[in-house]
Amino acid sequence: MATIDMVELTKRYGSVVGVEALSFSVEEGEVFGFLGPNGAGKTTTIRTLLGLLSPTTGTATVLGADVRDESALIEAKRRLGYVPADLGFDEGATGERILDYHASIKGDTRREELLDLFTPPLDRQVREYSTGNKQMLALVQAFMHDPDLVIMDEPTSGLDPLKQERFYEFVREERERGTTIFFSSHVLSEVRRICDRVGILREGQLVALEDVETLLNRGGKRVRVRTVDDVAPEAFDIEGAFDIRSTGEAIEFTYAGEYDALIALLGDHRLLDVEIDEPPLEDVFMHYYGERGSDDGEPDAGTDDAVAQEVSDA
Amino acid sequence: MLEIARYEAERRRRGTVALTVGLSILSLFFLAFFPSMADLDLDAYAEAFPPAFQEAFGIQALGTIEGFLAVEIYQFLWLLLLGLYLAYTAGGLIAGDVERDRMDLLLSLPVSRARVLGEKFVSLLPVLVTLNVVVPIVIYGGVAAIGESLDPVDLAMVHLLSIPYLLACAGIGLVLSTAVRRADVARRGAIAAVFALFLVDSVSASSADFDWVGAVSPTYHYNPTEILVEGTYDITGAGILLALTAVLLALALVRFRRNDVGA
Repeated sequence: MATIDMVELTKRYGSVVGVEALSFSVEEGEVFGFLGPNGAGKTTTIRTLLGLLSPTTGTATVLGADVRDESALIEAKRRLGYVPADLGFDEGATGERILDYHASIKGDTRREELLDLFTPPLDRQVREYSTGNKQMLALVQAFMHDPDLVIMDEPTSGLDPLKQERFYEFVREERERGTTIFFSSHVLSEVRRICDRVGILREGQLVALEDVETLLNRGGKRVRVRTVDDVAPEAFDIEGAFDIRSTGEAIEFTYAGEYDALIALLGDHRLLDVEIDEPPLEDVFMHYYGERGSDDGEPDAGTDDAVAQEVSDA
Repeated sequence: MLEIARYEAERRRRGTVALTVGLSILSLFFLAFFPSMADLDLDAYAEAFPPAFQEAFGIQALGTIEGFLAVEIYQFLWLLLLGLYLAYTAGGLIAGDVERDRMDLLLSLPVSRARVLGEKFVSLLPVLVTLNVVVPIVIYGGVAAIGESLDPVDLAMVHLLSIPYLLACAGIGLVLSTAVRRADVARRGAIAAVFALFLVDSVSASSADFDWVGAVSPTYHYNPTEILVEGTYDITGAGILLALTAVLLALALVRFRRNDVGA
């Protein structure tokens, strides 16, 4: 049985759609990235999985428990850890007291081990914590009872780069131990580094469900070239390059073709500078879905449905 | 069990101590005035108030230490001030956590909503018990210090029977805390509700025809003046208040279980 299984999960707030007919599974032992721009419905999904919001229609199971069944879900929560997006810790309590409190309810067999890795100043009050310290406290809290599933809502926001590295390393180790991890993010680079699979949410709908590899290959790279001579943007119009434009001093395009072909093409010019970078998530969306949308000759609004249909058929 | 209640009560410990010390000092301060007032004709003074006012503050036998305590301390501090405090505090119990994003973390733990609600309510008991144990001892000592005497059983009863009353006030706050999204609105609403009920009781009590209307108010069922001055205990009233508390808790629970948290 899948660790998380959503069946036509829908949450509306009055007439506003939070998420619409989400159907997908997160398998045991998998690191699943839940990707989407802000406001796409990631937090709504997570809160519904935790039983904080009740689904309007459809449902989901978490560790085998139906999210509409409170007592079953409570049993499941003994094996579940959670890092919320907005860290609501008691400002006047010390980190230590908060961990003690949570431990008294769910246990803390791994607390010391985690505190070697993440080091919030436990003897100080949370009101003195930086965002990074709060985030570390949340991580220790989420993993300290050795859960089978950990759900995290934007867990790396606020961590400095060093701590982020440690976090990625830690997530890989957790996967080795068999922990299932479901986390939301709007940062493509972190998703590519630690996730096995990715679901992309856009305006409340699941628009893609992919292996990370596939997603990135489709998304391509952002290439920025400065040449010595004036070169027309058309010179870079090769197979796999799209959205080519000149910014005045440089030419930018997105490239999803063979790397050898790109390198060969770049070799034809005298270069001042070249950057090959990951595209921002918005660009991945645009190229990944925009292209297919234009194939169908449909405007933007129809694109989501078409792709979602394809995803659910797959 | 009771981990949530223990934590919440602990977080409120400093407030509990401050409130207990404050009310003790204020009580002693009132008591210190009593000897100097003995020269005045307080009963004539009491008669001078309109009937509604006499009812509202239970003004009777103001010249005796019992009547004096009943008005200055119990009608005012205990019935009104503490009633409002409990309603205010309970008003923040649920809404406060929801508003500050603490509730989703709490509910991600293996706890039911019923347990969260119940234990948060129970966490108010330590403040009630502390106040009702410490303050009567201080008052008893204070009364002796000014050379007066007071029936210790009546004094104990005025405190014991205040607990169901204060729980009912907290129950009103808790219902609002689950019904209103913003903690501030819930807290202020709770204060307004308890105060309005107090006024309904006071005003209706002065009219023989509408006396029954006051029964909707918790204040109707707890009468410190009766206990201290006449030595009669309204046990039925206490029962009604406990039943009312149970109904309010049930209402709050129904509401809280249905609510979307963090929508």
